Amino acid sequence: MLMMNQGVNTQTIASVDPNSLEGRYVVDVSQGQTSSYNPTAYESEAASWTMHRVDNHSIENGILSNSSYHHDHRTQQLARSAQDSLNTASLAGSSTQGTMSVTQDHSSYAAYNPTDPYGYGSSGYSSYYNNGYQQQPNHAYSQQQPSHPYSQQQPSHSYSQQQPSHSYSQQQPSHSYSSTGGAYQNTGAPYQPLSSFQNTGSYTGTTSYSTTYYNPGDYQTAGGYPSSGYSNQTSLWNDPNNANYTSQQYSTYAPDTTSAYSSGTAASMSINYEQHYKQWADYYSQTEVSCAPGTEHLSAASTSNLGSAVSGVYPTSNTQPPASFTPASWRPESASSELSSLQTGAIISSTHDGWKQGTPSFQNHHASPTQPQFQISLESKASYDNIQEQQQTAPQAPNSQFPAAHQVTQSYQSTLQNALSLDTRRVSRMQIPTNPRIASNLALGLSKTDKDGPTNSAAAKPAYISVSMPKPNDKVLSNDATNSMLKPGMFPNSLRHYVERAFNLCKDDTQRVACQAIMKEIITKATADGTLNTRDWDAEPLFAIPNAEAVNMDSQCPTPVSSLPRYKRSPGRRSKSRWEPLPEEKSVDKPVSINNDIVKYDGWERKPPSVNSESKWNALNNMKFSLSEQRLPSKNTQRPAKRQHLADGLNAANNDASSDSDKEQSLTAYYSSAISIANTPEEKKRRESRSKRFERGQGHRAEINYLKQKNAGAENLYSRRASALMLNKSFDDSGSKAVEDIDWDALTVKGTCQEIEKRYLRLTSAPDPSTVRPEEVLEKALLMVQNSQKNYLYKCDQLKSIRQDLTVQRIQNQLTVKVYETHARLSLEAGDLPEYNQCFFLSGSCQVSYSVEACTLLQFESEVNGCQSQLKTLYAEGIEGCHMEFAAYNLLCVILHSNNHRDLVSSMSRLTEGAKKDKAVKHALAVRAAVTSGNYVMFFRLYKDAPNLNTCLMDLYVEKMRYKAVSCMSRSYRPTIPISYIAQVLGFSRTSDGNDEKDSDGSGLVECVEWMNTHGACLISDSSGEIQLDTKASSSSLYMPEPEDAVAHGDANLAVNDFLTRTSL
Amino acid sequence: MAYLSMGEAHRRITEYLNRFSDAVSFQDGASLKQLLSVSSNSPSLLSLADSLNVFQDANRLIKQSDKYSHAFLPEFRNWESAWALEALYVIAYEIRILAERADRELASNGKSPEKLKGAGSFLMKVFGVLAGKGPKRVGALYVTCQLFKIYFKLGTVHLCRSVIRSIETARIFDFEEFPKRDKVTYMYYTGRLEVFNENFPAADHKLSYALMHCNPHHEANIRFDSVYAFVNFKSDKGNRCGMLLQKLFHSGFRFPLAFWNLLYKRYGIQQGHLANEQQSPANQVTSSPSSSPALMILKYLIPVKLSIGILPQDRLLEKYGLIEYSNVVQALKRGDLRLLRQALQEHEDRFLRSGVFLVLEKLELQVYQRLLKKIYIIQKQRDPSKAHQMKLEVIVKALKWLEIDMDLDEVECIVAILIYKNLVKGYFAHKSKVVVLSKQDPFPKLNAKPVNS
Repeated sequence: MLMMNQGVNTQTIASVDPNSLEGRYVVDVSQGQTSSYNPTAYESEAASWTMHRVDNHSIENGILSNSSYHHDHRTQQLARSAQDSLNTASLAGSSTQGTMSVTQDHSSYAAYNPTDPYGYGSSGYSSYYNNGYQQQPNHAYSQQQPSHPYSQQQPSHSYSQQQPSHSYSQQQPSHSYSSTGGAYQNTGAPYQPLSSFQNTGSYTGTTSYSTTYYNPGDYQTAGGYPSSGYSNQTSLWNDPNNANYTSQQYSTYAPDTTSAYSSGTAASMSINYEQHYKQWADYYSQTEVSCAPGTEHLSAASTSNLGSAVSGVYPTSNTQPPASFTPASWRPESASSELSSLQTGAIISSTHDGWKQGTPSFQNHHASPTQPQFQISLESKASYDNIQEQQQTAPQAPNSQFPAAHQVTQSYQSTLQNALSLDTRRVSRMQIPTNPRIASNLALGLSKTDKDGPTNSAAAKPAYISVSMPKPNDKVLSNDATNSMLKPGMFPNSLRHYVERAFNLCKDDTQRVACQAIMKEIITKATADGTLNTRDWDAEPLFAIPNAEAVNMDSQCPTPVSSLPRYKRSPGRRSKSRWEPLPEEKSVDKPVSINNDIVKYDGWERKPPSVNSESKWNALNNMKFSLSEQRLPSKNTQRPAKRQHLADGLNAANNDASSDSDKEQSLTAYYSSAISIANTPEEKKRRESRSKRFERGQGHRAEINYLKQKNAGAENLYSRRASALMLNKSFDDSGSKAVEDIDWDALTVKGTCQEIEKRYLRLTSAPDPSTVRPEEVLEKALLMVQNSQKNYLYKCDQLKSIRQDLTVQRIQNQLTVKVYETHARLSLEAGDLPEYNQCFFLSGSCQVSYSVEACTLLQFESEVNGCQSQLKTLYAEGIEGCHMEFAAYNLLCVILHSNNHRDLVSSMSRLTEGAKKDKAVKHALAVRAAVTSGNYVMFFRLYKDAPNLNTCLMDLYVEKMRYKAVSCMSRSYRPTIPISYIAQVLGFSRTSDGNDEKDSDGSGLVECVEWMNTHGACLISDSSGEIQLDTKASSSSLYMPEPEDAVAHGDANLAVNDFLTRTSL
Repeated sequence: MAYLSMGEAHRRITEYLNRFSDAVSFQDGASLKQLLSVSSNSPSLLSLADSLNVFQDANRLIKQSDKYSHAFLPEFRNWESAWALEALYVIAYEIRILAERADRELASNGKSPEKLKGAGSFLMKVFGVLAGKGPKRVGALYVTCQLFKIYFKLGTVHLCRSVIRSIETARIFDFEEFPKRDKVTYMYYTGRLEVFNENFPAADHKLSYALMHCNPHHEANIRFDSVYAFVNFKSDKGNRCGMLLQKLFHSGFRFPLAFWNLLYKRYGIQQGHLANEQQSPANQVTSSPSSSPALMILKYLIPVKLSIGILPQDRLLEKYGLIEYSNVVQALKRGDLRLLRQALQEHEDRFLRSGVFLVLEKLELQVYQRLLKKIYIIQKQRDPSKAHQMKLEVIVKALKWLEIDMDLDEVECIVAILIYKNLVKGYFAHKSKVVVLSKQDPFPKLNAKPVNS
């Protein structure tokens, strides 16, 4: 909470935050990994929000770590995957700390709230931040201590966050309350104040959340929609169980989400992460409604990845035990490498999943955010910032956390150190793009996110690799790849400038190295995205340069194995009760933490007077610290010290914190260094200005820049989404962009699915990149369909899914044309049903064939028309295809089936001279002439030697034409006409003239007689035995038979079985 | 263009506003109309335009017009008398013209042209205001005509139906009550619609009405001539029609000059800048002095008349430069299928654009009929007793002379169709491949009825 407040206060707080972070770190070391880390994360986040991106980053990291913790709870592997995703951020640590990560995410939101001060919707952000913070603390508590303590802490955090400086005092008290065993009641009181804060912002809900944990009354105070959500979140946090956390997160995001949360809770840890991601995404996108709950859950996994990245912080909380670990673990990149090795594989995959999932979740979040759109937008920005910040922080804190998480965490930490900032950035970027896409199309968003995810993971891997042993290989590879990418010199000038700008920001070699790594990741990612050349690098925000120190700190941070167990526990807890408070044990733990928090809060209170924003940040930091403190009393003490420091001044606070404990000192030193960089007045100013226009700001971006850049990226994404959604344009500068400026490329999903066969399912949400097939696969799929022996319905289904994937990925090229052409042809063929007709005619079941024709006509027309209109636009765009062929089809369609003279004339007048010379078009025109003049002889001649599938189209008109012809004949001829002549003229003899005339005549005759009989013609036999049509008698007796076996779905023979068996396809 | 001083600009705007308020307060429809005709070149507006510098961009202008139009509409609704009808006409007209211009600009900028569509929906509102009892209802037809123009331009002709229905079925409307100019325009467009629907008798009726009533003074000759030209047809109906027209004409029908100006504008025949902008491809008009509403009408009326068996005189075609029809008419007279096909091919683009291609194509059967008739006449000259039996081979040979290669089956089919469509009376004996013609009137005249019966 304090952190949040600080964030609101803005820069000053941020500066404080670093201090707090340091202090927290120290605390963490002493107390436990998680606690210390969380604080740091919070601080970082707060700072970032306040303008100090660095601070924000730290906070974010904490958040990320938390998410990662949740993952861990779910399953180690999941955690790893989450971590992978997090890798980009502080993934590893986060994964281990699954529960923690969840809380962290919340905290990140809180951090966002601080950002609001920047101009977005400070209130909303703050509330989010608050929630997040609260949650984080809770998580930490839940893990380390009982849920109750956590919940208390969380509420207090939220309060502080929501409320500005005022909240600080309150928050601190609340913290203290929570810390004191009675925490719940106490917290309740603090929360109420918070509720007031909530009023200020839409986020108030968050306070309510916290209240819910502590006291129902608090929720009421929150009264806000969000509040309910928050309450849920808080409750979740309290629960410590992963499930609880997840649910809480959802609730916090939006009341709507709660339902989703419930479902998500099942997913538990992963879901929580996803939710966070979603929330962020939502914030970014703002516009879209939340995805289906189910999607959210799915996304939750992805979010979890993000969370995991964030979770880095959480891990720190976990790391409390690791505190000892932290120093060694962090640096022990080798150790981390071990973890990383294991993690990397899993992480990569997981990250992909996570990303994908995350995108869906984003969508969901969006939905929830829609209600408080403005807030959301603000939040989203904030969230972006937070994410970025978190990521940055993640490297620091997360690393420590990761160690806590065990090997995996360590690896993450290592990666985090180097890559965390990069990863996080990437992640944020990735998320952002996906979000916009999601906004536009859920499916798209997913696919894109997937792609991004992979890229991120890859990028992250490199970083990890450096840290961790096994991973290193992958990382190295990725690095190499990036290097190679860079070398080619294929980069656009704007990109070069971008790189130059980034390097200019580097103050020393370490930064430069980090910057380089980041750049590589960015470029690799962009290359993977295919946006390398399309992206506006000039407008691309610079990433924040990770602090080498921070990285080191991270390495030191490694949390003990115990953290992992905790995570595992958390899932179980979740499953037990999402909403209910955490087990008593947790509560006990929490009290301890609360006490620590109280101390910290006090310190914060003192500080707030000096700088509100700082105080808020500090409060946030304190919250985190409190978490860590809860775990480890010693840490708590340290944290208070940090808080005091913060009150005095960020730097001073940091130093003090460092003095508290050696470990802490070391951590704090890292943090402080990072923070100090971020906090320098100049940088602050820059940050402020940039925060106002992240996207456009170019020059000054050092470490702060990293954060800012990330933020900016997030903002850009936000803006894109916002513009796309047209919801909140005013939030960002980018938001002011006109709609036409939307970068649809950024919204386009890129699929990762490698399945060739895919059933068509109408999209009801943003596409999931994991289910979208990339172009190569689609080509194979098309081939498969073309060569498939299966029936039309199957092919149609497959083609539809191909078309969907194409659409979702906005692929419009020759492949698209091919697919549509194939589909059009297929449907033509199906409408034609030549084989069916043949056997029907041969078997004498003419009626069936007619009904089939009549029924398929509808089906075919809808299909063909759909394909045709699409093809028309594709052709219009100059994509090569069988333009003429389909022009002919179109013409035939109009002629034969729409019978609209205006359409016919207009389509004829559109034909170019060249087109009129085309064989197919010529044929079609001849058919038209035959039809309009009623020249059945000509018609059936054309029918016999129709090019392409013109036959199929004509087939559908044959019945009508024959009937007309026979009516005409029966009126014009006297006294009789031989059936043989009719059969010949009306195309009943199918085989061509040359071969087997007898047979063909015979079969044609039989067909013709059948046809005549079914149409009421009077047939007689003359003296020579030849069947004749009695024209006079027939002229009054002809009729068109009703289709006897019409079936609703259009094809009696095709359908029933196929429709029944279809599900098994 | 020199920049105006601020003071001058201000003075001009004030002057305009004063005149506007004067016009409204005195209910001076004429001056209000002038003040509102944005696209006109009236000096006062030009000076205003200079001062506002607003006329650069039709797209912007249309937005402004939208505003004032939407502001004007409720006011107009509240004015009980129809004094502002003229002003409303101007608004309806201006909004259409400006929308067309704006769409052109939008299209050239690669944006989707949607202004005309918007103008259409606005005019529907205007129509709603006018369609009621009271003096204002006479303005409904004008708006309807503007709507027709929009719909024809947009190719959303089906939208015309609802307007037509309300005009033709609503009891509040007495068609004769409307101004003549609107009636002519209305009939012209509805006649065109009937052409599309291949409802030739109705199209003939409407287009003939439009032709009869169009053409005031300076085009009076044309009208008379055209009517006269049709009068000379051997059709009873044409005769009656011609007589009627002559009577009407001599009784001194006169239409206000404004109507003609309006028609000019509408059809892009106008002198000056408007003409260029308003020409639609379908309405392209030669620059001959005789280009006129009558020509517009004749372009549709001639095919319609042809398809119901009424041929125009060459004089008429020459007068209006409708040479594209001369060969068609010639082919019909001679039974020269080849000539018809040539003519159709030669002017295919033009016919397709105006939408009469299919109508003309259907004349083929009449050409066949004419050909058979000629054969029949020749056979009759040789051997009257066997003239009613026409061998298929003969027909094939005749077609071959025309360099049209058709085999027996095809010709048999054509003959069957001719019989089926009652263009030839008789029957076809398949065994002997002979067309047996009725001894009584084997080639019935269409008598102003369409072929398909």
